[in-house]
Amino acid sequence: MAKRKMSLNELSEKVGLTLSNLSILKTGKAKAVRFSTLEAICEALECQPGDILEFVE
Amino acid sequence: MKTNIIMKVMNIIFWIVFIGLCIETGALLVSLFVTLFINSNGAEDTYMGLDLLDLYNFNVEHYIGVASFSITLSALKAYLAYLVIKLFMKFDLNYPFNEKTASVITQMSHYALSIGVVAIIAENYANRIMRQGLTLQIDWGAEQFLFFAGIIYIIALVFKKGVEIQSENELTI
Repeated sequence: MAKRKMSLNELSEKVGLTLSNLSILKTGKAKAVRFSTLEAICEALECQPGDILEFVE
Repeated sequence: MKTNIIMKVMNIIFWIVFIGLCIETGALLVSLFVTLFINSNGAEDTYMGLDLLDLYNFNVEHYIGVASFSITLSALKAYLAYLVIKLFMKFDLNYPFNEKTASVITQMSHYALSIGVVAIIAENYANRIMRQGLTLQIDWGAEQFLFFAGIIYIIALVFKKGVEIQSENELTI
């Protein structure tokens, strides 16, 4: 988001998610992500899923 | 819409049951008090025609025992009816699986089990008295309550799983 210089509000509008849901995703509280959501975020940010997902032990 | 109406009717029915059981508990308590301290003929009709006069004349301690079991069971049943009313208060059809509802259902299963256990003890106690030649016509309903407790416990477990699934569903973005 910082690289694309996009605010949370802008991303929420482009992806069609509420700000609260985006915040759940951002803080890592989400238990699962739908493929459609992932696809929409990748499309809005012009990136690959691997760029926004990270495995942490 | 139809479910809402059914829920409202059930709520009213359980309020009536709760009030009825509270009256029964109170009547049994007053009757025990009257029989012991004012007039022993009170044992003739303790509540709704329950005649314990023979038992009173046979042995006052046994009379107190049977009356105490009746009062305890009636009070526990009243509390169980109150829990059902509480369930109706906390139940939301749009958001059915929540922690509060699940905990009330679990509590209900525990109370139904307690009623079943107390009723079994009361039944055995009454049988022991009847072996001495007395007739006691009281239906304690132990088996029904144990069966009821088992069913409610299974529903409580299903509800707990439902709460987990619902919270997982809410956190799926």
